[in-house]
Amino acid sequence: MTHDHHLPMRLLSQNIGAQIDLDLSLKHEDWVYDEIRKAIDRHGVVFFRNQSIDSDQYAAFGRRFGTAIVPKSDIIPALNGSQEIAEVRKEPDQIGNIGGSWHTDQAFRPHPYWGTLLLAREVPDFGGDTLFIHMAAVYEALSPGLKATLATLKAVHSNARVQAKKANGKPAQPDVIHPVIGTHPSDGHKFLYVNPAYTVRFEGWTDKESQPLLDYLYAFAERPEFMCRFRWDVGSLAFWDNYQTWHYATDDYAGKRRVMHRIVVTSAPFS
Amino acid sequence: MRNQIIDIRPYGPVGAEIYGVDLREPLSDQAYLETRQALNMYGVLFFRDQAISPDQHLAFAQRFGKLNVSQFLAPVPGHPGIAEVRKEPEQTHNVGGGWHTDHSYDQTPALGSVLVARELPDFGGDTLFVNMAAVFESLSDGLKNTLLSMRAVHTNAHVFGPKRPASRGAISDQMKNTDKAVQEAVHPVVIRHPESGKRVLYINQTYTIRFDGWSEDESQPLLNYLFRYATRPEFSSRFTWRDGSIAFWDNRSTWHFAVNDYHGDRRLMHRVTIEGTRLEPAIM
Repeated sequence: MTHDHHLPMRLLSQNIGAQIDLDLSLKHEDWVYDEIRKAIDRHGVVFFRNQSIDSDQYAAFGRRFGTAIVPKSDIIPALNGSQEIAEVRKEPDQIGNIGGSWHTDQAFRPHPYWGTLLLAREVPDFGGDTLFIHMAAVYEALSPGLKATLATLKAVHSNARVQAKKANGKPAQPDVIHPVIGTHPSDGHKFLYVNPAYTVRFEGWTDKESQPLLDYLYAFAERPEFMCRFRWDVGSLAFWDNYQTWHYATDDYAGKRRVMHRIVVTSAPFS
Repeated sequence: MRNQIIDIRPYGPVGAEIYGVDLREPLSDQAYLETRQALNMYGVLFFRDQAISPDQHLAFAQRFGKLNVSQFLAPVPGHPGIAEVRKEPEQTHNVGGGWHTDHSYDQTPALGSVLVARELPDFGGDTLFVNMAAVFESLSDGLKNTLLSMRAVHTNAHVFGPKRPASRGAISDQMKNTDKAVQEAVHPVVIRHPESGKRVLYINQTYTIRFDGWSEDESQPLLNYLFRYATRPEFSSRFTWRDGSIAFWDNRSTWHFAVNDYHGDRRLMHRVTIEGTRLEPAIM
């Protein structure tokens, strides 16, 4: 018997984001998870709302897509010693949040991790939205000439600037090099793989030489057409592809607590 | 803030959703007062699940001031006071798809607009707003002091005048009188909001071409810095329309941006614009 295997899904916009109406506390057939992955490959990020799942159910869901890991981090600690779930927390009296600028998670690592899941456990009444940009849509909108030039370039990435801001004396990771245009493992589609937080320069160019073109690309990518903005409720879950998206955690809820549980999953690398 | 009638739910860095009023009925004096105070406080009000006729739309807007009829946007048939903001499935460019404040090229820019959703795409077509009072207050003291002493030139000639570049696309079927688009005005860079008293950065990417007395080349770097800085997510909200949604924004204290991401679908909005008052500098 054949099925029309379609998820109950609603697009947020033409370029990025989809909301999927599923109860993740239930076990689903394999095709459901395949379709979720396809939706992420296509739309960059998917959202689930009103989920009541405990940490075990959450980790089990993440595991359907790859190996769930907790990357070593001083700022995003594991949740109660978990090997799979980390906690992103901001307390009411805390100044400065985590992820409050445009970035791609893990771009400073030699093999960036593919997926991030974020589940809202405690959120302010309003504020604390997360914004996403689809870098495949950004790539598609560039001129043929600029696409061709960028395809010949690699870029140097480092967490040195991010570490310097934290001023905790920890050394930055060694520089890593990634292609400026990434090729997605799903179907070979291209995306622009530079970001303002971790990209330092084009390989072989000086920082100064690189800055004007990088700044142009950053400003271009931040056009609202490539972007969606997600308003969290308790039980909202976002699941995004770090290869081909940027995100930004808005820091506009001083005096309120926000607690999110994060799972990072690995998958086939991009090239 | 005292609000006996309307139910205000803040939406983000700018804007609040308003419940508890049916806009088919004339606003009571108390509801009017609360709505006006909320507009001054939040910059844009979002009403949900309203089913108002064009006449009710006009009546609501006229509670807040005299009508300001656009000489460039085509009117709704039978309702000359309502401008039509329309994008057809085959059109590629939209109206308002850049950061702007309506009518900043007028000597007396509009107070604001009431935009009613008439036909929406299945997805996309959000409108973004920026809180320009918050933007100004977050600048350094030095830059604030400098900007307080300056004025800027606003014009519409390059946007919908006869010399508008072809790259802006063909929107002639939505626009009229484009040969008259030569308005130019000089306003303080930082205005004192006429009702709330807040200091507001009053420049915008679409219509502001230079600082008064500076060349365009000289103005560009600082203008561009401010234009980009103002779009930080901490200053903005992104409003998703539903059937029955209405947005009422204060044109002096906000920017807005109509996202053009629903190609192949129709989007039809009705806009009524309200006359404003002359803008005064934040320092006299």
